Amino acid sequence: MNCLQVARLLQSYLDGETDEVTARRVAAHLEDCRRCGLEASVYEEIRGALSRRGTPDAEAVARLRIFGEALLSDPPAADDGGDRGASPSAGA
Amino acid sequence: MLATGRGFPSCGRRSDSGAGPGRRTGRAFATHVLPEVEVLLRVATTLTAQPADAEDLVQETLLRAYRSVDRFDGRHPRAWLLTIMRRAEINRHRRRRPNLLDDPDADLDRLSSTGSAGSAEEVVVGEAFDEVVDSALSGLPDKHRQVVQLVDIDGLTYAEAAHLLDVPEGTVMSRLHRARKRIRARLVAAGLAPKRGVM
Repeated sequence: MNCLQVARLLQSYLDGETDEVTARRVAAHLEDCRRCGLEASVYEEIRGALSRRGTPDAEAVARLRIFGEALLSDPPAADDGGDRGASPSAGA
Repeated sequence: MLATGRGFPSCGRRSDSGAGPGRRTGRAFATHVLPEVEVLLRVATTLTAQPADAEDLVQETLLRAYRSVDRFDGRHPRAWLLTIMRRAEINRHRRRRPNLLDDPDADLDRLSSTGSAGSAEEVVVGEAFDEVVDSALSGLPDKHRQVVQLVDIDGLTYAEAAHLLDVPEGTVMSRLHRARKRIRARLVAAGLAPKRGVM
């Protein structure tokens, strides 16, 4: 696999979205090629930076868990969720 | 076996005994839905602008899931929940802005002016890596930013994101990859990533 081929596959590879054979070939190239290896680490760092911003508000998660559990002990008076209910400001 | 009607406690409170919904419904809900609450909140945060909206959207999703869990076959609960959330979100938008179509892309295009923080010029060279990534992310067109958030921040697979957005997986992939390349370009501009010839 050459650099150009790796460049096309690199992100899918890093996301674990390539098949095993492809993944092995990309990995082998990354071992050998400093430039592509560096490129891979840039994308990994980007992903790291992104995942650090993603911690959801723990209190909100807790509130929602309680909400979910409350559905079990105290089921709602259902109206089928307003899935097809007329919107309050129809025609606006 | 406890049959809970067609899955809907349809006329007011179903149980006067306080025992809650049918046992099977309860078990299915506890097994398939409750463990996904955190992911749902992450995704909802991506789909909505305000944290309060995100929480509302998850509540609505939980309600709808509760009502249809009896008809759910138990496979791919996350995909099922994401579909429910997507419908709930479309519905929410319609209520507020009835002119919008079902197409989330059209929606996103329309919203693409939001959060355009940090053009390349505004990114001060020497700023921390995370800050540049942050700023680059919010400067992306919404359609692209959303996919990055769903995959890199919310932890969805390409397939799950495609499912949620109702677009082909290839579309998710190309948006995602292009978006990350833009983030990378910002990092290069800020002197925080090497220039690259091949790509």
